[in-house]
Amino acid sequence: MSSARLALVYSALVMLITAALLITVYLVTRSALEREIAAVIRAEVDDLGDDLRLGGVGRVAATLRLRADSWGRTGAVFLLADQAFRPVAGNLSAWPRDIEVAPSTMVEFEIAALERGSPVLHPVEARIERLSNGYWLLVGADISERQAVLRRFGLATLWGTGLTALSVWLLGAAYARRTARRVREYANTCQTIMQGDLTQRLRTDGARDEFDALALAVNAMLERIEEQNTTLRTAFDSIAHDLRTPLYRLRVRLEEAQLRAGASHETLQTEAQELIAPALEDLDRLQRTLTTLLAIARAEAQGVTTHHDQVDLAELVAGLVELYAPGMRGAGLEITLETPEHAVLTGNRQLLAQLVTNLLENALKYVPTGGRVRVRVEESVGSVALSVADNGPGIAAADREAALRPFVRVGDAAANASGSGLGLSLAAAVARLHRAQLTLGDAAPGLIVRCVFPTAARRDVPNGIAQVC
Amino acid sequence: MHLLLIEDDAEAARFLAKGLRESGYVVDIAADGREGLFRASEGSYDLIIADRQLPHFDGLSIVAMLRRNGKHTPVLILSALGSVDDRIEGLRAGGDDYLTKPFAFGELLARIEALLRRGNLPEVTTRIRVADLELDLLGRKVSRAGRPIDVTSKEFQLLEFLARRAGQVVTRTMLLEAVWDLHFDPQTNVIDVHISRLRSAVDKGFDRPLLHTVRGAGYVLRDGG
Repeated sequence: MSSARLALVYSALVMLITAALLITVYLVTRSALEREIAAVIRAEVDDLGDDLRLGGVGRVAATLRLRADSWGRTGAVFLLADQAFRPVAGNLSAWPRDIEVAPSTMVEFEIAALERGSPVLHPVEARIERLSNGYWLLVGADISERQAVLRRFGLATLWGTGLTALSVWLLGAAYARRTARRVREYANTCQTIMQGDLTQRLRTDGARDEFDALALAVNAMLERIEEQNTTLRTAFDSIAHDLRTPLYRLRVRLEEAQLRAGASHETLQTEAQELIAPALEDLDRLQRTLTTLLAIARAEAQGVTTHHDQVDLAELVAGLVELYAPGMRGAGLEITLETPEHAVLTGNRQLLAQLVTNLLENALKYVPTGGRVRVRVEESVGSVALSVADNGPGIAAADREAALRPFVRVGDAAANASGSGLGLSLAAAVARLHRAQLTLGDAAPGLIVRCVFPTAARRDVPNGIAQVC
Repeated sequence: MHLLLIEDDAEAARFLAKGLRESGYVVDIAADGREGLFRASEGSYDLIIADRQLPHFDGLSIVAMLRRNGKHTPVLILSALGSVDDRIEGLRAGGDDYLTKPFAFGELLARIEALLRRGNLPEVTTRIRVADLELDLLGRKVSRAGRPIDVTSKEFQLLEFLARRAGQVVTRTMLLEAVWDLHFDPQTNVIDVHISRLRSAVDKGFDRPLLHTVRGAGYVLRDGG
């Protein structure tokens, strides 16, 4: 629920509660006032009843005559009438019309009283009693004041409820607007940060409220992330420059030495060559490791600059298998390829080529002579699967996860120093970059590396064509 | 041949210039981007070798500015930025070739040669002859001394690349890039196996070998040692 709607609902609720409260107070007050008037009238009736018992109707009439001016003083109304409702005594000129006449009942009617020369209607509440001789007695009180009070009270209730609801709604809306604005502002800042600007921070306004607390916590977190990011970037920049530059100079120097050695004495020439050639090879390996490491880092950092083109994995794999086939056969390995004519996916061709190359190189390195390497590309709806299986030593189930981490060599590979320990790790990073998962399995015997790339759902699946290279 | 080397690393520039001079080139050195751009626009060089990261103007800006001013001198970019994307960016910016540091001097020489002689052979040609070896580019057929030689299509591509650059050293990296479209170095020397197969097809049974290995650099197709 949006905060503006929440404010509306809350103000409606507050209005209901306030109205209920005020109406209750109104009703209680009204009944109290009514009871008070009724009590006064009853007391009056009781007094007159005493008069009747002590001195008959004559005494009652005498008492009423004494109180003839009571209207002006207390708003009290008295009337004693005979059986035919003809007035005998009291301050009413006639028995009121249009009232239901029954002994011991409360009635309400209006009387016209002269005020400054003109008649004004006053509401009156009265009690009617039948005296023992058949005469009627009416005792009442002016209730115009009570009605005025209740009317004012009602009006106040209405206004109070309305104003309370309005102010609650206004306050709530203002608060909701402020909350929404702040949340939106935070969301925008986060968006900018996600787009790569890690220097952005959430705004605090010094109010020391929950928002400031949140902003401070998030900012502290961003600070930390930026710090780590900088450390990482610096580390990679250092690798790139601090390592590449000296390597480059070393290489240039060695080559110069090689040239110079070539010009001098013959034995010196051979000695120098024997020394320098392996040094150059070492340098090459160092250079490759470094390049691969940077490629992994780039792939892991989900390279924003990585071009994503349509790559035909079937064609790419076929080309690479063709590239490696002579070398494999030279090493006494049989390599087979099973692939559809096309298997198109979205990706980076060079990185995918590197993935496949690394898997083929691994097979070349670790599968003993006489072994077999089976490369397979399968296309199905929504995915393209690549698998490279061999019947070599394989990787123990417990070591498979570790084998995908950089610089980890497992099993027989640990003894084989020619590997950089980065091949599978780079392959896994490239796979992740293509939203694919690289898994190592048991080819019983041997290793099977499988990688399933998601593709957009597409056309008919061509038949697989098996071919042996 | 007159080369301009734009490189801010003085020591690397000195070594490179020395090596290039020993290989018979005349070399001028510019130590930063501004001087490099100035010299490149002024002088008439046959080739410019520019480092990518330079003070004032980087290598790519220099190429872009030269091209905008109608200068079409070939430019070879050297860079410590070695990812495939950096390469592609470098070539798109108008660089004619891109070499990642550190590189073997032989690699640099081979690429300079290739760039300098690029214009010599017309692209539209149907036949290439190297000594008694003949390539029929239309029929994709090879023959030597009139005798047909069986090659696979990849071997033909390899041979064509070498034949178009007959007499020049071609490196393994150049072959991987041109024939297999791979812009990274595999760990094993896969190319060597292909070359030795090609060699046995082309040279076996003939007195004079044509396909030679150049130690520490690559291969060359030429008549005689």
